[in-house]
Amino acid sequence: MSAHQQGTELDLSWISKIQVNKPAVLRRAEQIQARRPVKKEWQAAWLLKAVTCIDLTTLSGDDTASNIQRLCYKAKYPIREDLLKALNMHDKGITTAAVCVYPARVCDAVKALKAAGCDIPVASVATGFPAGQTHLKTRLEEIRLAVEDGATEIDVVINRTLVLTGQWKGSDFIKTSTGKETVNATFPVAIVMLRAIRDFFWKTGNKVGFKPAGGIRSAKDSLVWLSLIKEELGDEWMKPELFRIGASTLLADIERQIYHHVTGRYAAYHDLPMS
Amino acid sequence: MRTGVVGLILPPTFPFLDMMWRICPALAVGCTVVVLVPPATPTPLLLAQLAGELAPFPGILNVISGPDSLGPVLAAQPGVQKVAFCGATEEGRALRRTLAGWGPELGLALAAESLLLLTEVADVDSAVEGIVDAAWSDRSPGGLRLLIQEAVWDETMRRLQERMGRLRCGRGLDGAVDMGARGAAARDLAQRYVREAQSQGAQVFQAGSVPSDSPFFPPTLVSDLPPASPCAQAEVPWPLVVASPFRTVKEALAVANGTPRGGSASVWSERLGQALELAYGLQVGTVWINAHGLRDPAVPTGGCKESGSSWHGGQDGLYEYLRPSGTPAWIPYLSKTLNYDAFGLALPSTLPAGPETGPAPPYGLFVGGRFQAPGARSSRPIRDSQGSLHGYVAEGGAKDIRGAVEAAHQAAPGWMSQSPAARAALLWALAAALQRREPNLVSRLERHGVELKVAKVEVELSVKRLRAWGARVQAQGCALQVAELRGPVLQLREPLGVLAIVCPDEWPLLAFVSLLAPALVHGNTVVLVPSGACPIPALEVCQEMATLLPAGLVNVVTGDQDHLTRCLALHQDIQALWYFGSAQGSQFVEWASAGNLKLVWVNRGCPRAWDQEAEGAGPELGRRAARTKALWLPMGD
Repeated sequence: MSAHQQGTELDLSWISKIQVNKPAVLRRAEQIQARRPVKKEWQAAWLLKAVTCIDLTTLSGDDTASNIQRLCYKAKYPIREDLLKALNMHDKGITTAAVCVYPARVCDAVKALKAAGCDIPVASVATGFPAGQTHLKTRLEEIRLAVEDGATEIDVVINRTLVLTGQWKGSDFIKTSTGKETVNATFPVAIVMLRAIRDFFWKTGNKVGFKPAGGIRSAKDSLVWLSLIKEELGDEWMKPELFRIGASTLLADIERQIYHHVTGRYAAYHDLPMS
Repeated sequence: MRTGVVGLILPPTFPFLDMMWRICPALAVGCTVVVLVPPATPTPLLLAQLAGELAPFPGILNVISGPDSLGPVLAAQPGVQKVAFCGATEEGRALRRTLAGWGPELGLALAAESLLLLTEVADVDSAVEGIVDAAWSDRSPGGLRLLIQEAVWDETMRRLQERMGRLRCGRGLDGAVDMGARGAAARDLAQRYVREAQSQGAQVFQAGSVPSDSPFFPPTLVSDLPPASPCAQAEVPWPLVVASPFRTVKEALAVANGTPRGGSASVWSERLGQALELAYGLQVGTVWINAHGLRDPAVPTGGCKESGSSWHGGQDGLYEYLRPSGTPAWIPYLSKTLNYDAFGLALPSTLPAGPETGPAPPYGLFVGGRFQAPGARSSRPIRDSQGSLHGYVAEGGAKDIRGAVEAAHQAAPGWMSQSPAARAALLWALAAALQRREPNLVSRLERHGVELKVAKVEVELSVKRLRAWGARVQAQGCALQVAELRGPVLQLREPLGVLAIVCPDEWPLLAFVSLLAPALVHGNTVVLVPSGACPIPALEVCQEMATLLPAGLVNVVTGDQDHLTRCLALHQDIQALWYFGSAQGSQFVEWASAGNLKLVWVNRGCPRAWDQEAEGAGPELGRRAARTKALWLPMGD
């Protein structure tokens, strides 16, 4: 995880000067999906890179210690050992970037990761996820408790009431949405956010990270996200310190793609370990 | 009705899609096509293969591969009714000169350069993507002139250079590549331009990963080019972008319109009012707002000024291959002995007239809203059908033409901004005034041998036509709906500018009015040369126009028809010339129009039935009196 942001003074004039032309952004979003296709061994490499940027997530009402344990094990061994050996990547320490759970399950996650001998961070959603409509006191207490339990990253839900009245605060990462909305991470929205990150970096020298979450299910999509980051921001941002993908079923699709690359055959879901 | 056989001359590296856009409408309306393509390019071979597969109708599409010099040969073949040329400006000009007098109508589509205007209230990142699309992709037709408002100059340059760094060049068929190459000729042209620009003091920035072997040329950004340098006037080759700053919207329009080319342009601004102001003010064929390079077969695409007069797409594209029903086929009327340098050069001297019946003050020239004496300070006598003197009219010359064109240009902005209703009202007033003058006009016509009945009909029809044209022109523009685009595309009809008309000798009053009315009502200002044998009815009408119309709107210059035609045809600031005189004059007009590629309409020496509705007041007149502009307005917030 990168060093914390120093932050800058809030200057609302930066925001008022911004112009966004939606039809043009939509055209760019369409274009980026068509260009820069990656094939063969380069595709396998990019998929492994995508794996290292995943925040493996489980946010369901029926999470218990057992499925958390399964998730953490999958985070430590995201791709089957023999497939990695075939790609000669078995000793590179390929794991997902983090594991993301509800605050009540942070304990279980930390225990499971310690048992697996893995040092990847545990991220917790907090502050009244997903709506954020709880009292400030309880929201702050949630964060404190999650950190006490061992979470080292927090996905904070901003107070939309404050946003809509123009009262902002800063962060280390910006995320497209909670992932629980009807429309989550789309390319046009991402393009605008990435341009804002780049402008902020040019103005202040601070690098803010980016996390798209929700609706990213196919390996092809993850490749498009990576090329979008590379095109708009450059190679420095294609690292887990500055880029995360919030996903749960994506890992399975990536694993199937890698299986196909290694063996030339399409795998069934039961061929590969569950997460 | 359809035109007949169409000859199409294409340049090297012409995209297949553009070829189809020109061939398919021709075939659809029933014309047959012969395509001349340069040798050693692979795309036309695909075309030839397709042509060969049209088994039920062999011969409707033919492809010939040969050098440029075959172009005039193709056009000179008997039966070819239209020649469409796509390519470089100078070659188009040369073709226009060679084809003068040969008969087929010539349509030119020249100069692929486009313009991108970036204001300070634009979404700069999206505009940078627009620049990449416009100049550094395989879809781009040519180079790009970039006008950036000073306030956002630094920001735009920085983002542009950063974006250029991520462009990838390579073989065009590789899917992950942004742009390919277009042959050694294109690369040499770009190389030469860059060298010249550098020698004239410009900054050149090249980036993107380019394979080192030829013929790849890297994406190039040229800035700080002095506006007065020759490079700034020349067409920008692909894949170059030449950037210049501007301070205000007014300056932007002046700089943008300050080239002889007028193909396509895009305006980037989030302020609707400002964007539309710029869009309407740019003298180009297509304007995109906050987008660049959008195309659709239902939208007419073409240019103005020296970008040529031919259109493809939409209704205008179909009209290219049609002509009014009943028009005979064009045949060559070439006079090989015509000396272009000597035509109309010398003024024939006029003998003084014999004894006069009474003092008749000579009519002056009607320029700038009033009658004035000609520069040469001489008059010519007009004789009636009996041979006796009818009156004196001014002997106009080159200086008078120049003055008339200047007066017309001065009146043009005011007249263009009038609403169609205001223009119609003025024409109605003129019609009423003509009606009051009827006895006078009839007697004048009678003196020239026109029967009383016919003269009355002539005057009546003139009045009727003035009223009819006034009523016919509706408000500007209709909105087209384009598939896959959210938002309208406006198809505007704009005035050409200054229109010069040389009136025929048949139907002296009616032809004069029938040509004047559509030209005026579409927003043009006019310079007319009335009938040589019988100019007096026209001059009588001028007396009414002096009181009714704004000064400079209509200018009438009398004198030797050939000499005045020469002056008009060679004038660089006339946008169109309608000539209804002799065959030799028609040939000269076609030849001389190559100077500034003005639109011409000649009668090839054949008289026209002005009293018939179809020929005297048909839609052809309306189509020729204005030009189209397509205005794209993608919507979304």
